[in-house]
Amino acid sequence: MGTNKGVAMISRRKALRAGAGLAALATVGAPSILHAQTKTLKITTWGGKWGEVMKATVLPAFEKEFKCTVSADQAFPFLPKLQVSPKNDPIYDVLHTNSNEQWNAVVEGLVVNKITAKEVPNIADVYPYAVSEKIVGVTIFTSAIGLGYRTDKGLAKPTSWKDLADPKLAGARGGYLIPVNSLGQAHLMMLGKVYGKGLTDLDAAYKALEALKPIKLVDFTGQMEKMLLSAEVSMGVIHDSGVYRYEGANMQPVDFASPSEGVLALEQVLNVTPGSKVKELAFAYIDYMLRPDVQKLLAEAVWYSPANKKVKLDAKYDAKLLTTPEKVATLIQPDWKWYNARREDIDARVTKILKG
Amino acid sequence: MSAAPNRRPFDAGRAAYLALNALLLAFLLLPIAIVLVFALNPTPYISFPPVGVSLRWFEKFFGSAEFMNALWLSLWVATVVLVLSIVIGAACALALARGNLPGRAVLTAFFMSPLMVPAILTGLALFQAYLLSGIGRPVWGLIAAHTLVAVPYVIRTTLAVLHNFDRRIEEAAAVLGASPTRVFFEVTLPLIRPGVFAGGVFAFIVSFDQFPVSLFLVVPKGETLPVVLFNYMKFDLDGAIAAASMVSILLALSVVLVLERLIGLKAYVKL
Amino acid sequence: MTSAARPSPIAWLIAPAGLLFVLFFVLPFAVMTAMSFYSGNPVTNPNAFLTTRHYERFIFDTAGIFHEALWSTLRIGLITTVVSLLIGYPLAHWMARMQSRLGHALVLMAVIAPMLTGIVVRTFAWMTILQDKGVINTTLMQWGLIEKPLPLMYNEFGTIVALVHIYVPFMVLTLTGVIGRIDERLEQAARSLGAGRLRAFVEVTLPLSLPGILAGSLLVFALSISAYVTPSLMGGTDVLTLPMLIAQQVGTSFNPNFAGALGVILLLVSLAIVVAYNRILARLAGGQGMA
Repeated sequence: MGTNKGVAMISRRKALRAGAGLAALATVGAPSILHAQTKTLKITTWGGKWGEVMKATVLPAFEKEFKCTVSADQAFPFLPKLQVSPKNDPIYDVLHTNSNEQWNAVVEGLVVNKITAKEVPNIADVYPYAVSEKIVGVTIFTSAIGLGYRTDKGLAKPTSWKDLADPKLAGARGGYLIPVNSLGQAHLMMLGKVYGKGLTDLDAAYKALEALKPIKLVDFTGQMEKMLLSAEVSMGVIHDSGVYRYEGANMQPVDFASPSEGVLALEQVLNVTPGSKVKELAFAYIDYMLRPDVQKLLAEAVWYSPANKKVKLDAKYDAKLLTTPEKVATLIQPDWKWYNARREDIDARVTKILKG
Repeated sequence: MSAAPNRRPFDAGRAAYLALNALLLAFLLLPIAIVLVFALNPTPYISFPPVGVSLRWFEKFFGSAEFMNALWLSLWVATVVLVLSIVIGAACALALARGNLPGRAVLTAFFMSPLMVPAILTGLALFQAYLLSGIGRPVWGLIAAHTLVAVPYVIRTTLAVLHNFDRRIEEAAAVLGASPTRVFFEVTLPLIRPGVFAGGVFAFIVSFDQFPVSLFLVVPKGETLPVVLFNYMKFDLDGAIAAASMVSILLALSVVLVLERLIGLKAYVKL
Repeated sequence: MTSAARPSPIAWLIAPAGLLFVLFFVLPFAVMTAMSFYSGNPVTNPNAFLTTRHYERFIFDTAGIFHEALWSTLRIGLITTVVSLLIGYPLAHWMARMQSRLGHALVLMAVIAPMLTGIVVRTFAWMTILQDKGVINTTLMQWGLIEKPLPLMYNEFGTIVALVHIYVPFMVLTLTGVIGRIDERLEQAARSLGAGRLRAFVEVTLPLSLPGILAGSLLVFALSISAYVTPSLMGGTDVLTLPMLIAQQVGTSFNPNFAGALGVILLLVSLAIVVAYNRILARLAGGQGMA
């Protein structure tokens, strides 16, 4: 009898303790339950001015409207990380890269192949280039790759890609390390078109590349910008955003020229990972990034051309960026799928040509 | 103290010696002077010669929550890594130098190997391992990775001092009656301090300035300063990064000074 | 027989380092080495198959750039090491022998500061100094000493200058500890026996600092053969080292399997060199009867 009472007392104490424990768990767990209801969208983003605007304005507004948290990874490169993460729990839901990388990603099944207006309604309002067959995912912005040049070196404004090969520019022209930079890769293909039969004429491109020596090569566009600004080169391959964003006070005499053969597209492309657990939210994000007000904000911050036809930019941006069907028609989109398949050979060949 | 008898005709040789060292110091400091110029130059892109003096980049740096968080994270990670690497590295060096372990040459090479692997591979390998084992990307994972890369430095510098060690001092202490433990703590450890100090400086700097390994192992909102700077730089090329650099230098130098006071060169007492 | 053969209890101190390395170095790299024998990532890609093609690609080098990359890597590493030693030794000697505490601290800070500038900023600083319109060239041209700008950047020269600048502090800090431990009275004794300053240095101090020289050289060599950010930014296409290739394969070719294979190759070559180095170091230190 005594033992029974003892047992009863013990079990009551245990029950009390257990109850207290549960209550504690509940209070601790409650926020995490609430948190579990707030979904997290994992995206990638660039740094610099773009990142500032995203973090300050665009993302908080999105989080508020869609009642979620956005976790934005800025530590480039993104694709190697996505490659390693498990397919059913990818490290990103939305991948923001240039077009060539999206093609690398889709070949490995890391992103979906096509996105239509069904998932992202605003697609109905974009220019054709944004969802062309050269794109996997959706383009939200583009820049034009052309020639940047200094206006104080007695140079006429370039009208053709061939102007880069002008003998007067020997040692004063700039290009990119082709294995690591997509502008360099696009330029190589352009050389094939300008000097040969088309974007896929590698033989002509290699010959033209050889003829461009001596040429100063850099790793990323920031360095090209610096070379132009410090007059280390008088002309170089660069995208319009890289030249226009310095407009304002203390501006150096650098300008951008769109060659007559056309400008190459440097697209900012968003895509969704097939294993993402928040696909609807991911599509909603892409849709959000295509809204005219969001597009206008970002386009004017970093001088990108918006993909949405309905965006109305301020006059000074409108004048220089690609905001009409006619201007957009000058964009040439390379076949990245074709290029990526040949990359190893091209990289080796180009390295041999440009060495020493 | 026994005065060197020929102190007067010192000048030519000593002057040359000092001049050489001054020149070498100038080589080391020239780029830093340039960075300072960038940091104070008000133009929104890097140019030379400078246009003027302005503090706007420092304002931008200190005003940015992102930079400040990154700076703070880098600082305390580096401090933790410093402590861990000193302890682990010095212990390992002692074991290698005194422990009579078989295959010492190979073991030493093994512990140096993280230095010979391009850090981007280390980062990728660890990232892969962390994901596969379900660890994810917690801060301690970052700290462990930094420690891995920092420990070889401590081992190397401590070994260098140990190799040049006059063991007779230890033997003298033992002869005078000190127990082996006491000899270790009161004679050996203080005498290897310069090596540990040098290694510790490396460890702190290597962690603070670590880029490729951190690249893979940081999470959004938990990025170290070098990562934030590099990604800022790929996109925007203004003086903010130069300002960040100057601040990093000043901060890290203060840490080094503190280290110097604590464990450094007091051990240069000639016995 | 004697204690020389059996490990002493001190050997256990190696345990923490051993644990750290096994967990965070050996295991992940074992995984990476395994990956280097696959065509893709076997965990996420069911179509990945075993292959030696990554190694074959390097060994047969039909592209003609891989062997060259390995030699470049070793050559740049060697030159960087030698130059860093030549620059670092005087500074280390000066610092180690300095009496003034304040002076010592100041020189220490000056030596360390380059390590703290940060990879990319430091490169831009060098660009400003070395490029065609940079400080050096504009100054030389202004003084009429040269007609055309010297090609100081986007080549091996610029890369080595930048690498030396990063690694001299490592050399100095390694050496200064060792030199500081050398009893100055040994040098003074030689001098009082009639040797000149230089001779006393060459025959007394220099040999005694040999372990430090070898340790510092090893450190700088190991670091410079794994560097890729600096050569990429400073070298243009003139320079292509194995680490640069590895970084390219990871970051822009998205071929981590090949990168892993290259990493294994680099590590094996480096380890061979380091083991040889350490044998020399052990023999020299043992030969002096000091350790």
